[in-house]
Amino acid sequence: MKNLKQIMVPAIALFCICLVAALLLGLTNSVTTEKIALIAVETENKARASVFPDANGFSENKSVTLDGAEYSYNEAFDADGNVIGYTFSTKSKGYGGDVAIMTGVNADGTINAIEVLDVSNETPGLGSNAKKDSFKDQFSGMSGIIGVSTASKKAANSIDALTGATYTSNGVTNAVNLALSLYGEIAKGGAVNG
Amino acid sequence: MAEKKTLRQEFTKGLIAENPVLRLVLGTCPTLATSTSMVNAIGMGISVTIVLLCSNIVISLLRKVIPSKVRIPAYIVVIASFVTIVQLLIKAFIPALDEALGVFLPLIVVNCILLGRAEAFAGKNSVIASAADGLGMGIGFTAAVFCMATIREFFGNGTLFTGADSLLGLFGITSFTGIEIFSRLPESLNIEPILIFILAPGGFFTFGLLMAVANRLAEKKGKKKADLRGCESCPMAAACALKGGCETEIKEEVAAQ
Amino acid sequence: MIKYYIAIVLTAILTENFVLAKFLGICPFLGVSKKLNTAVGMSMAVIFVMAMATAVTYPINKFLLIPNDLAYLQTIVFILVIAALVQLVEIALKRFIPSLYSALGIYLPLITTNCAVLGVVLLNVEKAAADASFGFAASMFNSVGAGLGFLLAMVMFSGVRSKLESADIPKFMQGLPITLVAASLVSVSFLGFGGVVENIFG
Repeated sequence: MKNLKQIMVPAIALFCICLVAALLLGLTNSVTTEKIALIAVETENKARASVFPDANGFSENKSVTLDGAEYSYNEAFDADGNVIGYTFSTKSKGYGGDVAIMTGVNADGTINAIEVLDVSNETPGLGSNAKKDSFKDQFSGMSGIIGVSTASKKAANSIDALTGATYTSNGVTNAVNLALSLYGEIAKGGAVNG
Repeated sequence: MAEKKTLRQEFTKGLIAENPVLRLVLGTCPTLATSTSMVNAIGMGISVTIVLLCSNIVISLLRKVIPSKVRIPAYIVVIASFVTIVQLLIKAFIPALDEALGVFLPLIVVNCILLGRAEAFAGKNSVIASAADGLGMGIGFTAAVFCMATIREFFGNGTLFTGADSLLGLFGITSFTGIEIFSRLPESLNIEPILIFILAPGGFFTFGLLMAVANRLAEKKGKKKADLRGCESCPMAAACALKGGCETEIKEEVAAQ
Repeated sequence: MIKYYIAIVLTAILTENFVLAKFLGICPFLGVSKKLNTAVGMSMAVIFVMAMATAVTYPINKFLLIPNDLAYLQTIVFILVIAALVQLVEIALKRFIPSLYSALGIYLPLITTNCAVLGVVLLNVEKAAADASFGFAASMFNSVGAGLGFLLAMVMFSGVRSKLESADIPKFMQGLPITLVAASLVSVSFLGFGGVVENIFG
């Protein structure tokens, strides 16, 4: 009997602690889930608005297939409800992990603006400079396949790489190029009309 | 517990005399990882302090209920719950901080300071003393990380308090985004930030220098140097106690070679 | 496909080295690196536990937590699973493979809550959530790679430290401060690996 008690008492005590902990966590989670989801939506909306400041509104998520993979995009509307462009949220490999970029492409296939969503895996002070306007603004107005120019190597139709952060610059550019190819796919499908 | 300390002593010992980072050498991982900017350091410090305060109080409250055989898993459950609660709250209200601290937020669970204080103090002392101990240790941790972050951010990025809006946004202040220092200096001086300070090597280096200063100060007061004390400083100090002291085992092992 | 996995392992060892680039597992790195033997023993135990922990937590996360919307319980579930797992492994080793137990046994309790182990598990989950192609095999390779990276850092650093023993160090730097500065220099060497893996397998 004593043996059983020796096993049961700690087990029950531990079980009770776990139970209370689980209840508390469930409670906190139920309070915060909505807020966390809201923040995610808000950040996306903000990023979309920043690549299309002129747009009056955006469509629901739509999807496009490229090379067998499915990507989602949104249409940007002007005040009359005409499609003036598309926004794509794409990722590509940077230096320490994925960089996430929001690209706004005009209906004519040129880039309106880009926004950096996530460069938290890049080197602070070097790769994280991708967030600076001087880097991002280089993309505006470009189209086709964009290259990256470094101090030693100039490429055609290119942007200037960040000093000391060629991998991050390549990552951002690849993500933007992916967005442009997605645009091409949509344009091919004849979806480019109001 | 050689002598009974007053509440004030329990609180203040964590600040300097027994500073968890610089004297006890606990929690080195988060110290190095989150001291890249002052704002991250404050965010991490506050998170650790809150978890430490709460877990110390709860563990102290439960110290007579928890059977000693399962006390380590019980402590881990208590600590992990508070860590998750703090993590969820930060995700909901300070998302920028969650992104900056990344995996180190959930890793507070295995921060040696927490389990160490639970085992060494909260499991044996009254609630109020444990709260004072937790608060003092938490603030001591914050102060040490903040010190390191100030050095690293100033030299490595040339700024102070960069990204402060993510924390202050909580109080509705978004205009203050940090102080640019190096970029304001006249260009003829040609001063660039020493980037390596915010990269990994700079973390080790700054920590080493701070440690040297702390040791020197301690020595002046006639105290022992801080050093890694085998098992005690590693995360599983508590598990070692569980196993009946593996510190001696390791020592024997080393001696045997 | 093999290329993909080799790239994962090499990235985990070199560019994303747990100790020197990510600051995970610093305590054992500083505490148990004085002698080569203990450094290797500790690292072997870490590799072993990391692989086991990933093998167990991956299905728990994928088939138990995520389908039931319980992802917020990850931290607490993983740490308990790891703690229980290490105890089980210890008992099993003691019973069935005593030779391995005598080699790794004393390190096992030390790494139950070593932040590198929980860290690799959490990072795997994070990567899997961000990238659907990062499956079970990729997680396992990543864990073993992270463990090998830990081993590499430990072995290198124990070599550096054996030199420090005989060096003439200013009094105020003796002990931990000089160890940290030495770690800083070892870490500089790993900065040089940036981009290497992408260039080979890009």
